Amino acid sequence: MPFNSLDYFLFLPAVYLVFYLVGDRARWGVLLAASFGFYAALKVPYLPAVLALVAVTTYCFGIWLHRAQAPGTKRALLWGGVAANVLVLVAMKYLPFLSENLRAVTQLFSLEMQVPAVRALVAIGVSYYVFQAISYLIDIYFEIEEPEPHFGYFALYLSFFPKLLQGPIERVGDLLPQLKAPYRFDYDNMRYGMLLFAWGLFKKMVLADRLGIYADAVYNDVHAASAMQLVLGTYAYAFQIFMDFSGYTDMALGTARLFNINLTQNFNSPYLATSVADFWRRWHISFSRWILDYIFKPLQMQWRDWRTWGTALALVAAFLVSGIWHGASWGFVIWGGLHGLYMACSVFYKPYQKKIYQKLGIQKSPYLKYWQMLVTFHLVCLAWIFFRVNSLSDALYICTFKFLSAGRQGASLLVHGFDRGDARLVVAAGALVALGGLLARHQRAQGIWNGSALLRWGCYNGLVLALIFLGVKSKGTFIYFNF
Amino acid sequence: MELQERLNEVFCQVFDDEDIRIAPQMTADDIDGWDSLSHVNLIVAVETTFGIRFTHKEVLTFKNIGDLLNCIAAKVQ
Repeated sequence: MPFNSLDYFLFLPAVYLVFYLVGDRARWGVLLAASFGFYAALKVPYLPAVLALVAVTTYCFGIWLHRAQAPGTKRALLWGGVAANVLVLVAMKYLPFLSENLRAVTQLFSLEMQVPAVRALVAIGVSYYVFQAISYLIDIYFEIEEPEPHFGYFALYLSFFPKLLQGPIERVGDLLPQLKAPYRFDYDNMRYGMLLFAWGLFKKMVLADRLGIYADAVYNDVHAASAMQLVLGTYAYAFQIFMDFSGYTDMALGTARLFNINLTQNFNSPYLATSVADFWRRWHISFSRWILDYIFKPLQMQWRDWRTWGTALALVAAFLVSGIWHGASWGFVIWGGLHGLYMACSVFYKPYQKKIYQKLGIQKSPYLKYWQMLVTFHLVCLAWIFFRVNSLSDALYICTFKFLSAGRQGASLLVHGFDRGDARLVVAAGALVALGGLLARHQRAQGIWNGSALLRWGCYNGLVLALIFLGVKSKGTFIYFNF
Repeated sequence: MELQERLNEVFCQVFDDEDIRIAPQMTADDIDGWDSLSHVNLIVAVETTFGIRFTHKEVLTFKNIGDLLNCIAAKVQ
């Protein structure tokens, strides 16, 4: 049941109504039942079972970890709990990829080994809640958090439906206390939650899905595209994935707000980042925080005697994990590897950066920031190519500039299914989203917003009309569902 | 107090800024250039200066400079 489906528009008010009517003592039960129901609505019978398995296993390991006294036992329990979770993730997501590559290796070396072909399973949501489960166990191991004694609340922490399928990846210390707090109806939260939900839907249906038409047309047949179409298709994809995922996140945050719950904000104007490191502080924040805390920092500590090389190596390793997390394909691995490489290079470059800027006399230039943004955006776009391509041969075709000799330079900038009207609409809606983001940060603008009912209701109605008349209705699924 | 002064020198050296004045309640947000990438340089510099070795757990659970100071004090005694 995706957020942009009619089923969800009926499901959400029904869940809220029951949640509102029952007392505080039963509210966790309502949300837990709703979350499992929401997951079961995907009509993949084994998915709720996998969620229950991860919940029970992690709950037990959490309690055992807390009770254990000897450091050796504690460490063994931590690794046991983490391994159990990783095993679930591998079984659900990576077996077909592993078997395919193992078969390729056996063929390459003419080994007489039978590697069975494995059918791919549907694993929507698994990588998100498995990562939460691992963070829960590590936080208990480091005594940052105590284990949750109430299984119902713990299971709800893992499965809370607004963030079940696509995150944000929540820490137990951030979410659980909110789930336990008594509920009081809050008009502002209600209003803000619904507005955020509609805003996210606008980003998804009007912008992301329309940009997707262009990106799909270019990337589904890269050999037919001209150089400019490839460039524009890559830009279109960069903004499609951003609007798609941040739209989804707005809908998740908006839904949670109805229940007085603040989920982690996942985005902070990522394409205004002035370095790749800065980009990762602004893009999919809950995920990059996870990778930073649980993969990068421990590896960096382990390899700290190698100084800068240790940090660089830890960065490459962390980003490779990040790539593989997105899915079992070499495109994702290369995407992660590229980001790791960018970051590793920046570790070596950083000590010289100030000196180079001073030598060039640009350290105080007001334009420096914009130059850095432009370079960062294009580095990110280069990596997006590997994220989006249908095959590695397509990526190779683009990155070796073969399209320049394909002789299609005179072709129109538009593609099939995407006309001038779509282009104008993308520019207008993009400007509106940027303006909305800008105004949301200004207190004065917020004051005007809160003070004028006419303005508010005008915007609400405008938003609904835009969704009805300007939304792309043929698409629907979210990109990050697949991860 | 002497410990804090010595630690202050390490901070100035690592973050290349002579004007840093550390205080126990300060965190990474208060010092320019102290991010997750440079954090390990600080840790290694502290370890070398004081002749101590931190565990993973200690480093990952420092919440502010006060925690770092307490940990150093416990180890050098």
